[in-house]
Amino acid sequence: MERVPKNLRQKVAKLLTKQAHVPYVGPIALWMVLFVIAPLVIILYFSVLSTGPLGQIISSFTLRNYADVLKGAYGIILLRSLAFAFGTNMICLLIGYPLAYWIVRYGGRWKITLIFLIIIPSWTCYLIRLYALKTLIGTTGLINSTLLSLGLISSPLQVLYTPFAVMLGLVYTWFPFMVLPIYASLVGLDPSLLEAADDLGATPFQKFFTVTLPLTKGGVFAGTILVFIPALGEWLVPLLLGGAKVMMAGSLVEYYFIKVGNIPAGSAIAATITAIVLLVVYLGIKLGGQEVLERVT
Amino acid sequence: MKASNMTNKILPTLSMLVYIFLWAPVIILVLFSFSSNRFGIKWESFTLQWYFDIIGNVAVRDALIRSLTIASITIVVATIAGTIAAYGLYKYKFRGRGALRTTILLPMVMPSVVTGGALLVFFSRAIHIPLGYLSITIAHITFCTPLAMFVVLGRMARIDWSLEEASADLGADRLTTWRKITIPVLLPAMIASAALIFPWSFDDFIITYFVAGVGTTTLPIYIFSQLRFGATPVINTIGTILVVLPIISVLLMRFLQKKK
Repeated sequence: MERVPKNLRQKVAKLLTKQAHVPYVGPIALWMVLFVIAPLVIILYFSVLSTGPLGQIISSFTLRNYADVLKGAYGIILLRSLAFAFGTNMICLLIGYPLAYWIVRYGGRWKITLIFLIIIPSWTCYLIRLYALKTLIGTTGLINSTLLSLGLISSPLQVLYTPFAVMLGLVYTWFPFMVLPIYASLVGLDPSLLEAADDLGATPFQKFFTVTLPLTKGGVFAGTILVFIPALGEWLVPLLLGGAKVMMAGSLVEYYFIKVGNIPAGSAIAATITAIVLLVVYLGIKLGGQEVLERVT
Repeated sequence: MKASNMTNKILPTLSMLVYIFLWAPVIILVLFSFSSNRFGIKWESFTLQWYFDIIGNVAVRDALIRSLTIASITIVVATIAGTIAAYGLYKYKFRGRGALRTTILLPMVMPSVVTGGALLVFFSRAIHIPLGYLSITIAHITFCTPLAMFVVLGRMARIDWSLEEASADLGADRLTTWRKITIPVLLPAMIASAALIFPWSFDDFIITYFVAGVGTTTLPIYIFSQLRFGATPVINTIGTILVVLPIISVLLMRFLQKKK
């Protein structure tokens, strides 16, 4: 009789030491399940429901919402979002990598200040930054009025509400998030490896492509996760800088959820974006982005 | 020769252009908030009139108080929750640890419209939380806790943990060890994460816009509602506050940390 509870007590004690992490990670895991996973599951559920003639939700399975967002005008908007996000990512990478390289290599004691000057704008209100960019490039903005008064142009340049303006806004918004992880991985690069390459007679180009770039690819993939994904789901940039003409996938999400309240349609677009996001995150992490990603946050 | 040319001339020029591109719009906005031009789009003469205007503006004051309230609650909850989670992830090896880390990264990388839209549907259709203070605060805690956790986690690797072991060896119980050793040791990291969370919460527009419902106007939402009236000095002044406050917060924390 005595032995059983004692045995049980030992078992409980053993279980408690084995589960010692639960009080620490349990709450956040629960929160993530409740407010990150569950909402995504909910929209996945709503995305396959039908809508009645009055816009009410009917509990019958359909894939029409997905068919609607993938074809016709909405399909084009989704494709445009992918193209813009890819373009933004490439521009940020092609400018951001050399910039990060320059800061790490030649920044000296100004290194920290220089990287801070890149990151600080990303801490400030993104709505305000976009508004500031919009007023600057608008027809009555500072750039146009300066060019007009200098006599360089005779009528204001129409930059606003063009695809160019949207791309400009996307790069402007997300650029810092590409530089930071690349900077972090370049700083962590062991200089003796570069010296070894020098000793072995590598040209600067060989050195870059066989040593520096492969060893900092984690930063590149982390940067891609941080730039491509938000750019893909962008709503505010096309709204402020593209007007009604240059919509993106995020614009459709806002339109269905907020403007017309069609939850199944909005959910289908959000679920499609989520699927692309998860794919990009998976690839980015697989290719070595997670460690840098966690470090730069 | 070619390579040195590239590093000597092209790289610095490119870098300068990037800095100008990133900073010019913000600097011009701040400058124009002191300009007497009533559209706030060019320089006329120096004035503080627009700042006096917003001090007397009740809508702006209410929105500011709302934003600060939500940011304060978010900072406290997210920093504590994030620190506890970071401690668990750092100190214990358990099954599903990697999966949990990746899941916690998700809210940080998800496009805001997806997070906001999913939470809106979840709040209004699934668990019936009224849209307003509560829904906004839950949303902010959801995307700020991961940030807090990774900031603290990053710094834990650089902390000397021998004191904690010594405390346990000397027979102190868990709670005493936390109170006397662990929390003081983690405090700088917690302050850093609080400083980083402040701009995330205070400046957030998209997610808040989705889950705010009607009437709970935060400062960024107030600005957004003003945008349809075109350029106004009011936007410049509030914009300056929204740009400058977070910068001061983060720089101050960095300065304090450096001093230590």
